[in-house]
Amino acid sequence: MRKLLLILSIVLLANLLLTACGAASKTDAPAKAVETYLNALVAKDTNRLPTLVCSTWEQDALAELDSFQAVTARLDNVACAQSGTDGKNTLVKCTGNIVASYNNEDQKLDLSTRTYQVTQESGDWLVCGTR
Amino acid sequence: MGLTQIAASILAALLVGAVTRGAWRTYSLLVLSVLAVYWFQPAIPLRSFDFWLPSLSLTLVILIWFITSQAGAWKSRQNLIGLSIIIGIATLIDLSRYIFSDPLLLATTPPQFIQYFIFIIIGTVIILALTRLSRTTAWTLSFSIILLLAILIVLKSPTLSLQTSIFFRTLAHRPIDNASALDLRWLGFSYIAFRLIHILRDKQLGRLPELTLPEFATYVVFFPSLSAGPIDRAERFAKDLQNEFILTQDETLLAGQSIVIGLFKKFVIADALAYIALNDALATQVHSTGWMWIHLYAYAFQIYFDFSGYTDIAIGIARLVGIKLPENFAAPYTKSNLTQFWNSWHMTLTQWIRSYFFNPFNRWIRGYKSIPSWTMILIGQLATMLLIGLWHGITFNFILWGAWHGLGLFLQNRWSDFAKTRFTTTNSRLQTAMQIGGILLTFHFVALGWVFFALSQPVLSLQVFMKLFGI
Repeated sequence: MRKLLLILSIVLLANLLLTACGAASKTDAPAKAVETYLNALVAKDTNRLPTLVCSTWEQDALAELDSFQAVTARLDNVACAQSGTDGKNTLVKCTGNIVASYNNEDQKLDLSTRTYQVTQESGDWLVCGTR
Repeated sequence: MGLTQIAASILAALLVGAVTRGAWRTYSLLVLSVLAVYWFQPAIPLRSFDFWLPSLSLTLVILIWFITSQAGAWKSRQNLIGLSIIIGIATLIDLSRYIFSDPLLLATTPPQFIQYFIFIIIGTVIILALTRLSRTTAWTLSFSIILLLAILIVLKSPTLSLQTSIFFRTLAHRPIDNASALDLRWLGFSYIAFRLIHILRDKQLGRLPELTLPEFATYVVFFPSLSAGPIDRAERFAKDLQNEFILTQDETLLAGQSIVIGLFKKFVIADALAYIALNDALATQVHSTGWMWIHLYAYAFQIYFDFSGYTDIAIGIARLVGIKLPENFAAPYTKSNLTQFWNSWHMTLTQWIRSYFFNPFNRWIRGYKSIPSWTMILIGQLATMLLIGLWHGITFNFILWGAWHGLGLFLQNRWSDFAKTRFTTTNSRLQTAMQIGGILLTFHFVALGWVFFALSQPVLSLQVFMKLFGI
């Protein structure tokens, strides 16, 4: 019993330390969340995408993913950064493009025209919409 | 398993096989297997489920080890090390969310620490309660078997899977419109459940040898056979683990040969055949009888090369670490009757079903003296094959596939009984002709059965049958 409790105590202590250290070093998390979202979008990853967005944005995100189903999509020089806040949302702006290729013809979708709204839910930063 | 995972598994197995000895080999295999449980789990649209499902697999492994091992066994050094390895790796993977910007091993971000810690506490409370209770009473073992079967039924039934997904989505305040029966893809659970049921049944029958937690857990979630079998037996697997093993040049060559053949079967032959193998779309689009047969033949060979390819890879990787996994296929399409086919197709599953269902069921039904023997054979064959069908999925088509083979086995049994006294010949040419005829008949019977297996709806299967026979 003592050994089992010792193992649990070590696990708890390690967790607390790493939780504290980790939280401090993640200031760019909202921007990273948008980049992860964009990567899942162009990879047409229908399993990962819903885990990266708010429940209210899930249908829209999947609809956006559907719009890439017939093309090959990739990210081109994409970089995101936090641009401000809007109530409970953190705003993120990106530079670069989504390149959608169909029949060797490229179409560039400029990401700088959008501002992503990102919110923290249960410790995770989730994309909740664009404007 | 994708190519990256296979390559990493080969490298890791080579390292473990070449460097580790004795107990260190068991611990290393446990570490690799626990890591694989998380890494091989595909992404799931429900947040953090690609962490929770592997964690539940490991929890079931620990719990069932506790109820099948001797009282106080967990206090031994080996078992405490095993417990620390499993909990330690799960903890590190969960903590990776605070350290790395991308999830470690998982497809999505693991849950917050507090959720994981509550999970650990609940698991510990259950384990402590079990240590206080008399653990090996009949009801604990029976309840565990029922629990595993219940989870299997939920996962294999599209309706129940969908309802479960809706339940979890509602709980997480996610839109239920996107719920799908495919949301709960629990990697390797069919194999994990069958291995655990085998252990529980053998414990009930008093023939389970005492296994340490590292041996037990490595057996259940052994990384080469985690996703596609074969289903080994615990006592045989443990013997291999306990034997001293040195990776020789001969052993490496044999393992390499098996892996190369497996890779060729899976990634060259099966993947090429997949382009023309029968599927729902082709079933509706193709109208020519000739082409429909080509698509059906392609499916028959694709499913064989795919599955046996994975098995060869698993056997090869396991050989690198001194584990001789059982063969799953023995040239099944060259067999001259259906019984021989089932003795050489997915052999470890059929042996499992024979040991834990067919033989006990037959013994039970033979108690009813009033039932004619042909009826007993029919019921036995049909029930067994329906069970094998349902193991693949609780759908009409899998039931029809099981019934097709059950009836086929029954007819073949009756024919063999009838023919053995009437059609005997010493003419070798006639014997060869009958052998070839038997092979062709068996292959075509099996291939026609794949029509149910490959398609999702009975109506589609009926349409394909009509096209195959030009109706």
